Amino acid sequence: MISQLLAIWQADAAFPSGGFAFSNGLEGLAAAGDRLSSDELEAVVEAALRRRWATADRVALARAFEAANDLDAVAEIDREVEATMLAEPFRLGSRRNGAGLLAAHARIGTPGARDWQARVRAGRALGHLATTQAVVWSGAGLDRSGAVLASGYMAVSGFMTAAVRLGVIGAIAAQSTVRKLLPVVAELAATPLPGRIESFSFRLDIAATRHARGDLRLFAN
Amino acid sequence: MLEFAPGADVRRQTASAARIGVGGPVGSGKTALIERLIPVLRGRGVDLAVVTNDLVTKEDAERLRRSGLIEPERVSAVEAGACPHTVIREDPTLNMAAGDDLEARFPGLELVVFESGGDNLASTFSLDLVDWWMFVIDVAGGDDIPRKRGPGVLKCDLLVVNKTDLAPHVGVDLEAMLGEAIAVRGDRPVIATNARSGEGVEAVADMIGRAVLFSE
Repeated sequence: MISQLLAIWQADAAFPSGGFAFSNGLEGLAAAGDRLSSDELEAVVEAALRRRWATADRVALARAFEAANDLDAVAEIDREVEATMLAEPFRLGSRRNGAGLLAAHARIGTPGARDWQARVRAGRALGHLATTQAVVWSGAGLDRSGAVLASGYMAVSGFMTAAVRLGVIGAIAAQSTVRKLLPVVAELAATPLPGRIESFSFRLDIAATRHARGDLRLFAN
Repeated sequence: MLEFAPGADVRRQTASAARIGVGGPVGSGKTALIERLIPVLRGRGVDLAVVTNDLVTKEDAERLRRSGLIEPERVSAVEAGACPHTVIREDPTLNMAAGDDLEARFPGLELVVFESGGDNLASTFSLDLVDWWMFVIDVAGGDDIPRKRGPGVLKCDLLVVNKTDLAPHVGVDLEAMLGEAIAVRGDRPVIATNARSGEGVEAVADMIGRAVLFSE
């Protein structure tokens, strides 16, 4: 039971990680055209789950989780994450979000966090979110399946809480969308890992890139 | 058995520069006060940097960078994700990371000032992030702010009542407002300032020095 509780602990938005400051392209998308309906929002998040989380974040997390005791190997996966993120706001956002998560885990003494943080600070690793999650969640005692589910849940909840703050959807209606997307996370989490990391969610990539040049913005990406 | 090693003071495990917070409502004069404090503190030999939490722009960060008061690279901006209180209280990790980054880039840094985005009277700083924090209100915001007893007013280490020069123009009895502020805060300090003229700024700098820089 403890591994499930640990996964809930890390997926809980109450755990400080900086994730609340990233809309992952949603703010740019919301500002780009007509108001998104709840169906459109659901489609956007599902596409991000299928084309980015399942094929990139999940893969990097799972592979780095298996290698968590070998930080050289984790750093290699970290560089692969960097190379496969087309949009700069996503690359920078992932690194900053990773640094936020790392700041919390380093301070509470999670095994492995300080070593990984030292590498990132020394410029010997980039510290992307997925690889950082792998290191600290392994150190915190999660199992791999719990880590993957926590990551998938956070991907959904991150989009939806951003959508609520952007006024795209109401807080209660958002939970209806979360409920619809949970089976998608479960389905994707159970699929075999592809051989390489791939990320392509073109609407969000373009929206985030445009958003980065904007003067008015609430979120970091 | 998992081995964790949390210390009694988790913030101090990595940070070495003192960290202070400046919070308060929109338009109360937080940035103006920091602009006044920078030359005073630097004049006293304090090596400092600033992290701003603008709500929707980087205006405060850009204002400080262009001020000529401090090297632009010593000013970092952290987005607040529409939640200015979250980034200083419930989830201060991005600010912590920004402070860590400044400390890494500027060895010898003694003070990092975190400026909150404008917020309401319930805004407070996490002590995971800062060692000491001040809350800035202004007379034009209403002389009833102290007696509303917002957590920001009550819990801060220093309450600053700014824009004292405006009191006669907005129908505020400054002495009465300060008296109420002192009354609701018990023995915790209150300082009146006019960031435009610089009045009271030395006293704020003195308090920062005593509280976190251990100066007399």
